[in-house]
Amino acid sequence: MQPDLSSYLFIGAVLFVCGVICMATKRNAIGVLMGVELVLNGANVNFVAFSKYTALGLDGQVFSLFVIVLAAAEAAVALAIVLNFYNNHLTVDVDRGNKLKG
Amino acid sequence: MVGETLKFWLMIAWLLPLAGFVVEIFFGFYSKNPRHSKAAAWCAVGCIGIGFLCSANALRIWGNANDWCVLEVAEHSNAHADPAHSEETHDADKALADHDHSDADSAKGQTAYSGVIYTLGVFGSLEVTLDYYIDSLTLVMFTMVTLIATCIHLFAIGYMSDELTDEYVDHSAHTADGGHVHRPGRFYRFFAFMSLFCFAMLGLVLAGNIFQVFIFWELVGICSFLLIGFYTERKTASDAANKAFIMNRVGDFGFLIGLMVLWTFFGTFRFGDTVVDDQVVDQGLFSMVHRDNTGNLTREEFTGDVLITDTHGHVLTNEDGSNRQIPYYLMVVVGLGIFAGCVGKSAQFPLQTWLPDAMEGPTPVSALVHSATMVAAGVYLAGRFFPMFVQEVLLTIAYTGCITLFLAATIAMVATDIKKVLAYSTISQLGYMMLGIGVFGWAAGLFHLITHAFFKSLMFLCSGSVIYGCHHEQEMPKMGGLLWKMPITAFTMLVGVCAISGFWVPFGLEFSGYHSKDAIVASALAFNYANPAHFLLFLIPLLTAGITAFYMFRMWFYTFVGKPRDQHVHEHAHESPWVMTVPLVILAVFAWFCAYGGESGRLYLMLTGDEPAHVAAGVTAATAGGIVLPGHDAIHAVHGQAGTWALIAALSGALIAYVLYGTSVVNVEEMKRQLAGVHGFLANKWHFDELYDALFMKPAHKVAAFCAWFDGAVFDRILHSAAKATVIVSKWDRVFDENVVDGFVNLIASATQSVGTSLKVVQTGRLRQYVMFIVLGVVALFAVMFTTFPG
Amino acid sequence: MSWFFTIFALAACLGAVAVVISQSVVRMAFWLVVSLGSVAGLFFLADADFIGAAQLLIYVGGTLVLLVFGIMLTASGPYMKIPASPAETVVAGLIGLMFLFMVFSTINDVDWNGSKDRIMAASGQTEKPAGFDDGSEGNTLRPLGFALLGVRPDVKDGAGYLLPFEIASVHLLVVLIGAAYLARAKRRQDVA
Repeated sequence: MQPDLSSYLFIGAVLFVCGVICMATKRNAIGVLMGVELVLNGANVNFVAFSKYTALGLDGQVFSLFVIVLAAAEAAVALAIVLNFYNNHLTVDVDRGNKLKG
Repeated sequence: MVGETLKFWLMIAWLLPLAGFVVEIFFGFYSKNPRHSKAAAWCAVGCIGIGFLCSANALRIWGNANDWCVLEVAEHSNAHADPAHSEETHDADKALADHDHSDADSAKGQTAYSGVIYTLGVFGSLEVTLDYYIDSLTLVMFTMVTLIATCIHLFAIGYMSDELTDEYVDHSAHTADGGHVHRPGRFYRFFAFMSLFCFAMLGLVLAGNIFQVFIFWELVGICSFLLIGFYTERKTASDAANKAFIMNRVGDFGFLIGLMVLWTFFGTFRFGDTVVDDQVVDQGLFSMVHRDNTGNLTREEFTGDVLITDTHGHVLTNEDGSNRQIPYYLMVVVGLGIFAGCVGKSAQFPLQTWLPDAMEGPTPVSALVHSATMVAAGVYLAGRFFPMFVQEVLLTIAYTGCITLFLAATIAMVATDIKKVLAYSTISQLGYMMLGIGVFGWAAGLFHLITHAFFKSLMFLCSGSVIYGCHHEQEMPKMGGLLWKMPITAFTMLVGVCAISGFWVPFGLEFSGYHSKDAIVASALAFNYANPAHFLLFLIPLLTAGITAFYMFRMWFYTFVGKPRDQHVHEHAHESPWVMTVPLVILAVFAWFCAYGGESGRLYLMLTGDEPAHVAAGVTAATAGGIVLPGHDAIHAVHGQAGTWALIAALSGALIAYVLYGTSVVNVEEMKRQLAGVHGFLANKWHFDELYDALFMKPAHKVAAFCAWFDGAVFDRILHSAAKATVIVSKWDRVFDENVVDGFVNLIASATQSVGTSLKVVQTGRLRQYVMFIVLGVVALFAVMFTTFPG
Repeated sequence: MSWFFTIFALAACLGAVAVVISQSVVRMAFWLVVSLGSVAGLFFLADADFIGAAQLLIYVGGTLVLLVFGIMLTASGPYMKIPASPAETVVAGLIGLMFLFMVFSTINDVDWNGSKDRIMAASGQTEKPAGFDDGSEGNTLRPLGFALLGVRPDVKDGAGYLLPFEIASVHLLVVLIGAAYLARAKRRQDVA
């Protein structure tokens, strides 16, 4: 089977949905971060696929490049936040961080 | 070049007092012992004294520049008409005089200089400048003013010395609880005001345009206001200051109207032509009206409008080619307007009532401001502006002066306050001057102005010395017998009295007043001969000459001879210190001899050096039955006759005074009782104050009261009801605000709050749920999209 | 080729599913490495050689190491588990399936070739940029480098990405400082 645009998109969708479910079910803050990484990767797959199979051209790759860079930055900051959270609550359970409850 | 040099010296004399003023008013107080320091006084004396030296120097330069031609030429032209001259010299002189007349101008050389000091503003082709106009009259006035002012400043150092204290007790001013006013002395301030006054007066004399005259006119007015109100705690003094200022405003209103007409039709305020390299670059007012050889103004044949000409008598044209002209009646308006200003400043009828009240000021002020210089400014201006006056205006001036001199003299006869006598005498003498100018005796009026300045300032200073010696007692009935208590004062005063009365003394030692008053009376007589209808213009001055002698000697006898009427005053009387008597002696010498030589004397010739051109020949009637103005010849022809009559009148007046007050032949009190009606009428100053009270004050008060009532009853009511309405409206507004607007806002707020409360539940604070919500939201959004836009 | 694609695709998808299913964070991290590495393989297959390399270097080599460090710093035990409630897991799974279904149906519904032609017509391009989808190997390093320097030799009148590149660099700097600030060792305060 010769890969085409749709197959790439399906893979991206699976990664995206997995990431979302990961974010929604993991109580571990690191797990949530991993979900985010999955979501971003799903998007990246889409970008690269569009770059190859549509008129988007090089732009798609540039976008995915930026996404990778920003994901790295996001991971760094998020980890710093998680560490802070951990310092304050002595746990990484995100359900404990419900101070914004209305 | 001569003009520049003269300007330089006179500017120094003019501006020094201003510098003095600034120093005195701002720094006079900051000395080691401020209230006891005489530094301010010596500063003022120094400024005005140097000013006198500069003026005298300017006079010398001016004379040298034209080889004193004024004295010689005038001597010749006068000589042939002098009746005292013998017949032999007469013919020879006449031939010489005729010769001189023919080329008088070329022989005389330039005697008048004018130019610009500073440009204030330019409006299109019109400009307002500070100019100077220097001729013999300016120089004589400068010298006279600075000399007298120097003497008076010196005198004031002594007179005002009781202000040199930290606590001056004013016995004439009362506080609310009935005590006397205690205040710090104001010695330095007095001299600051005096300096400012000198600056203003000299500026007025130096002024080269009528607007500049007006500026300094107002400035002397404000100085007068400040000085009259010097004892500002006394209600009488502050009232008098207000009165003087307001009365002057009345006259100045006319002055302004005159200025407007001049500006409109002539487009310049300058007196003289501005000459650069023998070319007239800027024409002045005087050369814009041309007089033909009858002495009348050149006029349009049919309309009678006065034509405006260039310096050579050629009619100027407008841009459209028509002749520039001014309606004749507007020339009359100009003259009357300017003269109205003179009436106010010189206290002529009907604005004369402020001057006697002005005696509330310190006596040196009365001597300088209210007798010698400022009030004479009106006469000076009338003389300066003489070329622009037409016959009707001159007649008005003459009658105004005539009424004034008689009115004031009669009041002076019954006045008992020594300064009031002198004040009314001043008004009377100013009336003489105006009369002189009005009857075409231009030189006579100004001559009297100079001589009067000397003897009147002398007499005021003498009265000041008496008042000072008697510890501020001014009422003559409380004096008497002071002759040997204060001999210098008494005898210098006697010189002044003789001078004002116009006594003749053999060997050419006549008192100055004899010459000047004779000149006026002679002019009046010549005018009377030329216009028989106006005989009163001669009779009244003649009669008043007698009255003058009477009240003056009455004052002298009252004060200095006879029995002391108040022992207390008499015992404490003493002669004044040297700073006060030295000026008296100096002024007495001038009062006696300043007019030495009469109309061939230097003073008179200097004055007439720049006489307006048409005066010498006289003016013939422009229309049948019109006014004829006598020339020099006509006046000189009657001089001897007029002088004799005036002397007789004066002598008889003096004699009556001697009989009534010098001896005890007649009981004066008895006479006063019998003539109670007349005496009361005169003592009440012809009821002028009451008349003005009834004519102007009462109606003004009535109108003011009506306005006040109207204000209270109508305006206030409207305002109050408006206020009430506003209150009611605002009450309703408050109700509306609280219920409707606030209710609406509160409704929004509570709605927001309840929505927030209900939505609060959703905010669980659980991160993972939020993710679920997001996903649900996206799914729901897509579901809606697919169902809404299928395919 | 297609074999490689199938293997990488399955690895990526199964790795992702394994991340979701795993309860231990360390295992999640492992499966994440598998998934992201497979995605890198997919990138290579899609002629995006530089992106694939970047994916391996930054994601697998950088970000995931960072995550593992985070796990080590916060783990209270070697096999720490914080289980979610089953109901939540079921609900999340249902919603996830709904989402997946929605995306799949969308992908199926769209006429990708038609839309490609429309886009090319609208942008005035007559054919795809040279070097892409022509069956040859990807050689994107040079064009990408030019694009990031603001030059697009491959596209007519194309604009580069110099400004976003600069912004991203500044952004990274800020993030570096911010992360250091947030994660710095604080003096522990006494809890009252």
